[in-house]
Amino acid sequence: MIKFSETQRSLAGIIAVTFFLVVAMPALNLFGSEGSFLHISDYQLNLWGKYLCYAVVAVSLNLLWGYTGLLCLGQGLFFALGGYAFGMHLMLMIGEQGAYKSALPDFMVFLGYKELPAHWIPFKSLSFSLLAVLFVPGIVAGVFGFLAFRARIKGVYFAIITQALTYAACLLFFQNSFTFGGNNGFTDFKTVLGNEIFAPSTQRALFFISAVYLSLCLFLIWWLTKTKFGKIQRAIRDSENRVRFSGYSTTTYKLIIFVVAAIMAGIAGALYVPQVGIINPEEMRPSKSLEIVVWVAVGGRATILGPVIGAIFVNWLKSYSTYHYPEYWLIILGALFVLVVLFMPNGIVGLPEQLKGFYRKHRFRFQQKKEAAAEA
Amino acid sequence: MSTQEKAEAKKKEFILTCEGLNKSFDGFKVINDLNLYIDKGELRTIIGPNGAGKSTFLDLITGRIRPDSGTIEFGPGEGVALTKMREYQINRLGISRKFQTPSVYSDHTVYDNLLMSLNRNRGAFAALFYRESAADRERIDEILETIRMTEKRSLIAGSLSHGQKQWLEIGMLLAQEPKLLLVDEPAAGMTDEETERTGELLLSLAGSHSLIVIEHDMVFVRQIATKVTVLHQGSILREGTIDHVQSDPKVVEVYLGRQHEK
Amino acid sequence: MLFRFHNLIISALFLLVSQLSADDTQAREIFVEAILAEGSEQTALVESLSTTASTLVPDFLEAWKRGDIFLLEADGSAAPTPLLEVEPEQEGGTPTYFRVIDGEEMAAGSFDPAALEMARPSRKTRRVFTMTIDLLALSTPNVQERADAALKLGLKRDDDILPKLILLRETETEPSVIEALNEGIAVSMLSHGTKEGQMDAIQLLRDENSIAGLDALKNLRHDLNDGLATHPFSEEELAKLTASIASIESYISWTDFVGTCFRGLSLGAVLLIVALGLAITFGLMGVINMAHGEMIAVGAYSAYISQTVFYSLFSESTFALETYFLFAIPFSFLTAALCGFILERTVIQFLYKRPLESLLATWGVSLILQQGFRLIFGAANRQVRSPSWLLGNVEIFDITFGFNRIFVIGFAILIVFGTWFLMAKTPMGLSIRAVMQDPQMAAAMGIRINRVRMMTFAFGSGLAGLAGVFLSQIGSVGSNLGQSYIVDSFMVVVAGGVGNIVGTVISALGIGVTDQALQPLLGPVMGRICVLVAIILFLQWKPGGLFPSKSRSLD
Ligand SMILES: Nc1ncnc2c1ncn2[C@@H]1O[C@H](COP(=O)(O)OP(=O)(O)O)[C@@H](O)[C@H]1O
Ligand SMILES: [Mg+2]
Repeated sequence: MIKFSETQRSLAGIIAVTFFLVVAMPALNLFGSEGSFLHISDYQLNLWGKYLCYAVVAVSLNLLWGYTGLLCLGQGLFFALGGYAFGMHLMLMIGEQGAYKSALPDFMVFLGYKELPAHWIPFKSLSFSLLAVLFVPGIVAGVFGFLAFRARIKGVYFAIITQALTYAACLLFFQNSFTFGGNNGFTDFKTVLGNEIFAPSTQRALFFISAVYLSLCLFLIWWLTKTKFGKIQRAIRDSENRVRFSGYSTTTYKLIIFVVAAIMAGIAGALYVPQVGIINPEEMRPSKSLEIVVWVAVGGRATILGPVIGAIFVNWLKSYSTYHYPEYWLIILGALFVLVVLFMPNGIVGLPEQLKGFYRKHRFRFQQKKEAAAEA
Repeated sequence: MSTQEKAEAKKKEFILTCEGLNKSFDGFKVINDLNLYIDKGELRTIIGPNGAGKSTFLDLITGRIRPDSGTIEFGPGEGVALTKMREYQINRLGISRKFQTPSVYSDHTVYDNLLMSLNRNRGAFAALFYRESAADRERIDEILETIRMTEKRSLIAGSLSHGQKQWLEIGMLLAQEPKLLLVDEPAAGMTDEETERTGELLLSLAGSHSLIVIEHDMVFVRQIATKVTVLHQGSILREGTIDHVQSDPKVVEVYLGRQHEK
Repeated sequence: MLFRFHNLIISALFLLVSQLSADDTQAREIFVEAILAEGSEQTALVESLSTTASTLVPDFLEAWKRGDIFLLEADGSAAPTPLLEVEPEQEGGTPTYFRVIDGEEMAAGSFDPAALEMARPSRKTRRVFTMTIDLLALSTPNVQERADAALKLGLKRDDDILPKLILLRETETEPSVIEALNEGIAVSMLSHGTKEGQMDAIQLLRDENSIAGLDALKNLRHDLNDGLATHPFSEEELAKLTASIASIESYISWTDFVGTCFRGLSLGAVLLIVALGLAITFGLMGVINMAHGEMIAVGAYSAYISQTVFYSLFSESTFALETYFLFAIPFSFLTAALCGFILERTVIQFLYKRPLESLLATWGVSLILQQGFRLIFGAANRQVRSPSWLLGNVEIFDITFGFNRIFVIGFAILIVFGTWFLMAKTPMGLSIRAVMQDPQMAAAMGIRINRVRMMTFAFGSGLAGLAGVFLSQIGSVGSNLGQSYIVDSFMVVVAGGVGNIVGTVISALGIGVTDQALQPLLGPVMGRICVLVAIILFLQWKPGGLFPSKSRSLD
């Protein structure tokens, strides 16, 4: 039997996932005959598109938490910032088709704005909006990360202050006067890039882009873990001071990783908004960011596919149980989390290994007993 | 030449110049008006009772903590002031440190530990696109040979014994190709034979490198020491050869008669 | 509804009238006379009502103004009988009528309601109604009410009332009332007095630090500038006026400042009790308990439960309301401590070596608890009523000190002191600190570390429960009550320096006061955001918090 190295196995996994998401799913949606077991409905595809965006956020958090040991409780913030940036463009693209038939977005008419606020104007341009999707989360992460890492805030403290940041931003976005629609956020989008936004073909395209994007992120992480950069990343996680005293500016490394993860999440947010058709400050609630941590932990952190599996599994479970047991969903999620932390430290991906170890231990005991019995 | 100019000229020969160093924690003076000069290529041994401030002194040099007052300058010629620099900058100047408690990357292999310590461009982008060259591999093999860990190259460092970790950390120091090595209690956790080998290694480095070694083991100190500095309550008590220092009544009192002090 | 309620009160008054007090009898007589009189005689009679010291007068006058007083024409030349109409309780019923003179109910059928004629006060009389009611307050035996009324009347700056106030000052004996009268008179004087009177008033208002008089002073200055004042002022006099205004304004800003500090302190005190629990579980034990907020909610719901239990035991009596809180305090502490104990045994004890994971697991617990509260107590918020002894307030130097706030501050001091004592002075505290610093060593020294951890955690959770009781007095109790405090209190612990009680105290109070000081300027949300940002920046300057821990370990 040929023994594959860890990296090779991960690569095979990524390729399989890519094939499934980028080729198989759209194909089954397009060509699968209606009602057949293999057919994926438009609704299903859209749902999965949403999951894939979540999966990317989980991957970005894993880059931070799994590989660098930076538990960020604000990944949902970056996700939402990307979503808001693209949402602004979508809002302006509604044009005069809104409920108030005004060139201004509906919420502005409702709140009595006379004209578009200055910082909204550039978002009429698609390319500016796309740049904003990259730069807004990137700059927020850059400034915040610079301050936090310079002050050597790490571990639990980093987790707490990223949560505080998220909380502050969430409060801010809930304010009507902050010009981003207050607690209603943005919704009622009509078109994206000139296409009708909820047309099946548009949604299929969005799914396809999300799938490709997720695959790209996975390949990026896979490549990163092989480089010296990836090694240093993990060394920072395990023994940051040693790295620092070996001549590496850990602050710079962490800052780069933090910004990259923020941008990665921001793009996912921008893909998410046209697929669900709404973005509001609920996405920024600290609990949302904690939920992302759950996905990673459930899937298995510091593994390449773990976060993807975790994000999809937990969200599937969420859809399922909010439908069947709406009262108990939070209890299920909470219990799942407690159990995973207590009994599955390596998540779903680590489960086979864990079971194998368990089996070996068991077999060893069993054999000992048998030998003892034989001796007697 | 005036005497002052002579002193200036002499100073230029020092690889490390510490003057008027002070550091206190919560009003407790740990380093007290310390002046220390290390010649280029010198192997200096620092001894002193526990809590004398030896490790704190290394913390000051490596930028882990900042002195309350005083200067630390590095380098022959125009000294570089270390007191305002960050740890990684100081390290890049060529000052490497082995910690009192061994500190290795416990999740990486022995080989990777050395690889990451190699004196290459340590910027983030360089690290992204770094590829091991044949020369790098050779250098690592060489170091593995020196620290006698060739066959342990693909073990996870976290699984090594205390003494092996000490060796690995010394190897990591070598990989950094520093000008000045700061070695804090290297012999702890080693067998007598290993201790002796450590001594030989340090001696072989002296000359081409400058070293500051902190140690308690007197046999070891005797083996390596040319010049010994005795640190007590944050300042220098005596400086000189090992025999000179060991026969000094004050030093004996500090080591043996500490209970009489209070 | 409200209207009918009002009538019920009046009818109650009339039904209780069999044993009238002398005051009331007199008031009724004058009132009847006034209703029957006309013109200036009527006005004078109404004014004279103010000297009767009867509590019926305001209600009478109200009813009259509203048109609820009717006249029943008598046969022959006898005067008509004034009646009070009371609306029926049920919609569409017939109203009942009471004789004004003695409050007797008129038997139905003894007269023809259709023949009743509404008694209308003359326009001039109407105008003195309010003044009469106000002046009436000046004759109440209650000193505080009398003083309030005196000031209020003065502030009206009515030249009809001014002479009456001056008259009253002659006979008044109560110093606090005299003071109020002086202040009121001075304010009136500013508008109607002679030049000398005005100058005296300016001086007096300044000496008294009269916040109430500030507007009048400013008006006067305004009038002077516009040339509308009755007496023009010289430069010097104008300067005096301005100085007086400035002096009062600085007094106001001083009282505002003290008031803000006080409210900040009380907010800080609640925050402190929450954060103290965290300082123990997080700071000392290294466990990040995201369910700490739910421990607060457990405390608050316990208060609700004890209220419910007391109400059902003693029916909804005042006794139950006044005493349940005393029971709620220890009860909340114990329930929250019990929850903490269970949490520690089932989850946290396995995670001491994995602090980040304790954060995640306890967050799971927090979700379960939140939903649990919703399932048990319903999604709607629950109201917990405050006992009356927490509702009042005292006013010192024009600053209002609410009893509930004073109580919280006092209690926080007690708790901080108790915690400090427990930690620093008892053998228990010594073993707690030992276990926190080096569990293995402590175990080797024979300390039962499991037990110590268990109890410490329960204690920290119990403190959160106590915070919950106080929060239940400030707002309503809901399943995510704790959520709004958890971020703040983590920040308190981090900013104070982890594992340091003194640091926690200082940073809780500092954050509380800053929050209160910023809120009026920036609004509640921006104020909080600023506080959060300020803390993040503060950590730049002191990364370890106010009192950083002194561990030297490398990582
Ligand atoms: N970060 C610190 N905070 C408080 N005290 C410290 C700190 N670092 C060192 N000390 C104190 O300084 C003294 C000297 O310590 P150290 O330099 O480790 O002594 P040694 O000579 O044994 O290496 C000790 O008493 C120690 O408690
Ligand atoms: Mg030491």
